[in-house]
Parts: sequence; structure tokens; C-alpha cells
Amino acid sequence: MRIAEAGSNASGRVPRLASGRDPRDLVLSPAEGYLLSRVDGRTPWRVLREIGGLDPCDVDRCLERWHAEGWLEFDEARSRAAPQRARSAGVPADTGSSSPPRAPCAIDPALEIPVEAQERILAFEARLDRPYHEILGVPRDADARSVKRAYFELSKDFHPDRYFRREIGPFAERLERVFQRIAEAYELLSDPTARAEIERALDESPRATSSRPESARAAAAPRRRFHGLHPRELRVLAQRKARAKTFFETGMAAFQAGRSIEAAASVRLAIAFDPSNSAYRESFASVQRKASEERARQLVREAERALELRDMAGALRLYEEALLHQPHDPSANHEAARLALALGEDLRRAKEYAARACELVPENAAHRRTLGQIYKSAGLVANARRELEAALKLDPMDAVARSELRTLA
Amino acid sequence: MGRVIGIDLGTTNSCVAVMENGQPTVIPNAGGYKTTPSMFAVTADGKRLVGHLAKRQAITNSRNTVHASKRLIGRRFDSPETEQVAKLCPYEVVRGPNDDPRIRLGEKIFTCTEIASIVLREMKRVAEEAIGEPVRDAVITVPAHFNDSQRQCTKDAGKIAGLEVLRIINEPTAAAIAYGFGKRKEEKIAVYDLGGGTFDLSILELGSGVLEVLATGGNTFLGGEDFDRRIVAHLIDRYRETEGIDLRADSMALQRLKDAAEKAKCDLSVRDTTEINLPFIANSESGPKHLNLELDRATLEAMVGDIVSGTIKIVDQVLRDAELGPGDVDQVILVGGQTRMPLVQDAVAEYFGKRPHKGVNPDEVVAVGAALQGEALLHEDKSLLLLDVTPLSLGIATFGGHFARLIERNTTVPVRKQHTFTTTRDNQSAVKIRVLQGESDNAAENDLLGEFVLSGIRPAPKGEPAVEVSFDIDANGIVSVSARDTATGKEQSITVNATGTLSDDEIHRIIEEQELYEVQLKR
Repeated sequence: MRIAEAGSNASGRVPRLASGRDPRDLVLSPAEGYLLSRVDGRTPWRVLREIGGLDPCDVDRCLERWHAEGWLEFDEARSRAAPQRARSAGVPADTGSSSPPRAPCAIDPALEIPVEAQERILAFEARLDRPYHEILGVPRDADARSVKRAYFELSKDFHPDRYFRREIGPFAERLERVFQRIAEAYELLSDPTARAEIERALDESPRATSSRPESARAAAAPRRRFHGLHPRELRVLAQRKARAKTFFETGMAAFQAGRSIEAAASVRLAIAFDPSNSAYRESFASVQRKASEERARQLVREAERALELRDMAGALRLYEEALLHQPHDPSANHEAARLALALGEDLRRAKEYAARACELVPENAAHRRTLGQIYKSAGLVANARRELEAALKLDPMDAVARSELRTLA
Repeated sequence: MGRVIGIDLGTTNSCVAVMENGQPTVIPNAGGYKTTPSMFAVTADGKRLVGHLAKRQAITNSRNTVHASKRLIGRRFDSPETEQVAKLCPYEVVRGPNDDPRIRLGEKIFTCTEIASIVLREMKRVAEEAIGEPVRDAVITVPAHFNDSQRQCTKDAGKIAGLEVLRIINEPTAAAIAYGFGKRKEEKIAVYDLGGGTFDLSILELGSGVLEVLATGGNTFLGGEDFDRRIVAHLIDRYRETEGIDLRADSMALQRLKDAAEKAKCDLSVRDTTEINLPFIANSESGPKHLNLELDRATLEAMVGDIVSGTIKIVDQVLRDAELGPGDVDQVILVGGQTRMPLVQDAVAEYFGKRPHKGVNPDEVVAVGAALQGEALLHEDKSLLLLDVTPLSLGIATFGGHFARLIERNTTVPVRKQHTFTTTRDNQSAVKIRVLQGESDNAAENDLLGEFVLSGIRPAPKGEPAVEVSFDIDANGIVSVSARDTATGKEQSITVNATGTLSDDEIHRIIEEQELYEVQLKR
């Protein structure tokens, strides 16, 4: 336990950074900065004297000074070891991050689960994507009996029943994840067929072997996920891959036929069924682009129909949806701007659409005119005049712009 | 912290145990019996009777006396099992509003959950009287082969009985816990559990305080009562041959035959022949008629041989599931009264090549294990950890009536699996998901746990929406399902309306009613 036992003298107390103060305002020597970085709300004064990197007397002096100046607090009542809320090691003075009490990390001593157990669970959770034998903590050539023993021992620590009816907050979900992974590791390593597959996979990526776990972790870049290799999981996997292939082929056929929305849907499903296939992902980008264009065209058509039916609000909504797919469509932007203006709903939004239309096609009188009208409605006279004049310059025959300009003053 | 009890809620008899100074102890009822008949009756004047009192008057009041209601709990009214019970039992089975079978006793119609709760309340009372303090927490056992709705109903029954059900565990597992209590050996154990109404077989592995269920299987509709029924049928046939009278028509005679058959069966476990004497069983023109027949063990064994060999077939299947041979099993434990029958013991011994373990009481061991599990869950002492499995595959019905397994049977619980679904029609705004449990590839042959509709899917071409459905089985073996539309990230809250389970409102209504009734009793 890294936590102090009860102590009436200062050395047993646990200093922590005062909330609401930014220690970066302190002027510190590097050695003092290091000491401050060790103050994490759970290391007691006594221990800081050992590990603070300074002479114990200097540690005392610093801590007393910082406490007197209000940078540190002690929690006297916290006699029975539990720190209030542990923070990740390192302190702003060290790392330059913004506010002193970092976002509280996952450990919470208020829960009905010992802090060490919380740490163990967090540490285990961080390694859930390691190869199965590392999950169980057995050598690669462990026999069935050792695999089972390891599973039983880990289950005692990580089975959710261990904390039955205890208030363990987010650890309930963590335990569930951890235990399921342990159970999966045990199940697959106990199955000779599945295990042979796993061995093969490990041999193909030698960096992930347990002989050099550290280097493997360092080179973690494309971490290898071992898919369920149990015979029945293999079967499921094969089925999923086959379905993915069918979806992909259907999708590409639709794409060739110009039905890109349908194509994108199929390819998306193919990816859902076989996320590891990079070919699907690569195709998806271009298919999705085409699908967006097609969907936007559809929406614009629907918007036009809505306008025919005098449903201006509906049309605006459809244009806006089309813009989600094709944000750089000048005429959709312009139509949305005109509708938003006419509905008098949200001039800021109207202005955005009009401005974007102008940006996309600067030499368009109608765009300028609409932008000018919007400014006029908003009472921005100078801007309105500028845009309306620009519109008239582009199209001297624009009667609307002319009359708007006339009534501007 | 109050004490936790373990209840073996059996088809014919129930049993309750509690931890006493660190040792599990079976609690006898007021009559001194360690088991209590799982029977409930309503008398002509509206009195309610439970246990031995109900059994004692069963012959004269057979229409209003329920036995073996466990065979109906959590089932659908239209199932073949319900049909069979309705045909064989003297009480009337009616269709409930949720398509669940209910039982008419006098004026009132009871759900099977309610009847289970009445028996559980009685067991709770037995425990409270013995230990002299109120009891709240309980572990209740069910046959390993029970599906989700049967478990859910049992849990509801506990709630109605005023119990906090810590966990529903499987009967054979409980027996193994009782066997493994205090043992540090590494062993593989087979539990052969032939109770009044159900048969289960579980294979477990014991090692350093952990008990892992390797595989489990069975038949929820095969048990000691089937033996009795064969004997009754035999007696009826013999009587018709000799006297020309059909006793089937007389429900009182049937009940007497049933009692006599059960007694004869027990006798024949220790004797070679037994006599069945039922005076005044019928009336004829020449006056009252008596039944006086002799039955020997060989005849009985010939009558039920196929039932016993049927259980051995299941044993073989479960061992295969666990990828084990009969020789890999270190200990065989027999549970359930029916395993007292020499024919059963011989068949099991022959299959495994070793005699079954003698050290456990087949009637009490399950309740003992339940109490031990309750203790292990609640108290700091973590000397026992149970790694249980789901007995049935869980999945959904897919296009064409197929059953897609999402969680295979014998998967360690708790477990969660996710699966993505999509639409089959353009602009489909809702999908209906039918959740099933069972082993058939044909969806219709599995148990429907419930169905739900996920609505509010954005109109889109078929196949485009992606709905991620999560299936959870918790440590009680109880299933929950939730769904999320991955496109919108919108969570859809879903309740699976299992057939036959009661809504919270119904549970509260029944609790109130029963408490009302308890007040009436004391007056």
C-alpha cells in the first residue's frame, strides 16, 4: 500500500495541491519543481522526504512554505489511509498542462473496492489487447492445466461476483470487460484447434510475443487483434466475411449502375461485417462521395417540389439537409439563404448561406443581391449598400437590387 | 447483515438451508420434515393451505390442489408441456392474458409465479421460525435447463414472497457447490439430477476455491413424476383387466393411485416387491370394490427403463459438449429423490464406470449449495467462486425462419455480445427482433423469450441503417437486450416482454393481496 498510516505528526500527512490555485504561478528551482511534481494527493509527507529528490530538511522547508502560502492542503481527517482523490503522477509545473487538479483519474477511494484492486483492474484493462497467453499471464507453451489454474486465479480477482452488491461505480463495467476477456482467453487457449491458430498468428507477428513484451508494446503501432479463433467463432467469422463479400460485390455492381446511395449502403455493411478488409474501406470513400452527391441532388429535387407546393419551411429543411451532403453547392446555399430570409427565421443563418454562395461564385449578381437583402433586414446598412451595389455592377438590369438600394436610406 | 437462505424450489418438494456457524444447515419445518411438499390448495371455505397441509387434503380436494406447478412456470399456454400437464392434472389450467398458463382454484385464478411465491413464502417462514429473525436475502435454485422466462418467473416469485433474490443458480451447480465446500482438490464432477419433474446433468471442474461449470444439459420435462405416472397407468390397466372398471374417470381415485404409486416406487428402491392396497377405490352394482395388487421391482424397471436410458443419452450428449469421456469424470454426484432408485444408480454407474459418490443427501444437497452460494456472494469470505454457464443458446429469428445464434450454449456468464442488424425494405422505419433461446436451427422450435420493435429508424434504402443490438446474460442467466442506431447514435430503450412474466405492477398487486391474506390468517 502506498498510502500513509495514521499519523499525528506532519510527516504522516498527505499533502495535495490546493484546489483553485495554479502552481505554475510559483517560481521554483528545477529541484523544487520536481518535488512539487511528486505531490499527488496520495504520497505522504514522510515518503516525499525519501523520494522528493531534495535533502529531507529541504523537503520539509518547501512543503511547509507551500502550505503556508496556500499552495498545498492536508487532509487531517484522512487517517485511515484513503486518499481523497488520486491524481495521475506529474504536476502542471512539470508538464505545462493548464489547471492543477487534473481531471480526476479513474481511481476513487470512496468506492467499496480497495484502491489497490482498482489499480489492478485499471492496469489489466490497459492490456486487454495483448495476446491471450499474456492476458492469462502464462508462457506460450503453458499446458492445459496451467492455463486453467491461471484462469481460476484471475477469476478470483476479476469476476464481477467478487464485488457482489458493492458500490463499485464504473468498475462494474470495467470488471465485466476484463473478466470477459479473461474468459475468452481461457476458452480459446483451452481449445487445441483455436490455440494452434493463435500460435500461428503469433508466429506471423513475432514482435507480439511474450519474450519481448516491452518492445512489442513500444512498437504497438498496428496492434494485432486476435479474432475469435475458436472453431465456432472461426465459423462465425467466415460467415461474416462471406456476407461482407456479398455486400461489397452487390455494392460495387450498384455503383457501376450509377446507384451510388445503394452502393454506399452495401459497402458500409460490408465494412461492418468485415472491418479488417482495407479494400472495402478504400472503396468506401469514393462510393460515399458519389452517394453524397446523388443524395444531395435528390434532396434538392424534393426541395423544389416542396417550393411548388409553397412549403417554404419544408424546402428550407431539405436544402439544409442537401448542404450537409454537399456543403459547397452554390445554388443550394443561395436557395437556403433566400428561404431563410423569406421565412425571417434566423438571419444569421441566412447570412451564412448567402455569404458562402458569394464566396463560391463571387461574380453572381443574385447571390450578392440576396446577401444585400439579408444585411438590409438585419439593419446593417453599410454592408447592405456594398452588396447591392456590387450586384448592380454585375447586372445593371437587376430591378430588385435597384429598388432595394433606393429604399435603403 | 441478515442471514441468507438457500431455497431448493422443487417440483414435488422444496427445501431450505441456512448457514449456521459457518456450516450449512437444512432447516426442518414445524412437522420436523426437512422437505416440504411444493403444494398449494384452496379449500371449499376459501382457506389456503401450503406444504404438508395441502398434501394431506389433496385426495379429497384434488381439483383445487396444485402440485408440480413448476412444470408450467414460464411456459406458454400453447406449448406441448402445458397441454400435457393440463391433461394429466386434476386442477384446471386456463389461458392467462400473456398467453401464460394459469390455474383455477375455486373462484380465483392464480399465475404459476404466484403459486411458486406461495411455496417460497412458506419456506421463508420455516427459516424465520427456526432462526428466530426475519429473513430477506435468498438464493433460489432452478433446473439448469430452465430458460430465461422460467428463471425470470422464479425470480419474480421470490420478490412476491418478500425475498431479495441474490441469485438464481442451477440445481446441479448448487449440488456441486455443496460437494466442493471445503475441498481443495482438483476434480471433475458430474452431477446427475433427477428430480420430481426435471432432469439435469452438469459437468463441473473444481479447483482452489473456484467451481467452473463446463457443460450442462437436460430436459425440463422428465422426472420422478413420469415414473409415478407409468405406475398409475399400469395399475389402471391391471384393474380394468381384472375388474372391468376404468378408474381414470374418477379424479379422487386417480389421486389415491398417484399417492400409492409414489409410495410403491419408494418401497421398490429398498425391497423387491410391494403391495398396493386401496380399499373402496370404486363402486359397482355388487357393492364397493377394492384394489389389491402386487408390484415387483423387475416389473417397475421394465416400465421405466426407457426413461432411464433417455437420461443416459442426455448425459452422453453433455459430456460430448464438454469434450470429455465418461472416464475423465472423477466424481459422480446423484441429486433428486428419484436417484434413490437402484436402476438409476446402476445405469449411471455403468455409464461412468464408477459408483456414484455416497456423501450427499440427494434431497437436501441443493438447498445446502444455495445457502453456501448466498454466503459466498454476500460476505467477505471469498473462498468460493462460481463460474457458471448459460445452458441454452441465445439468438434471434432471421429472415426465412432461421435461428441465428448470438451466444452459444455453455458460454461462461456474465457475457455480452453485440450484433449489427439492418432493414430488408426501402424506407423501413422499424425492425422487429424476436429473441429466442434453444438449440434448433429452426426458429419456430425454440423458446420465444420476447420480441421488440425498434422504431424511429430514418427512412433509407434497405440495408443502409445499421442497428447494433447488445445481448446480455447476467450471472443469474437472465437475458436483457438493448439496441442502438449506429447512424444517429440514438439509444433505443427496449424491454423484452417475456411471455408469462409479470409486470412490476402485477407483482405489487400480488404482494399486496398475499399480505392481505396473511392478515386474514392471523385473525
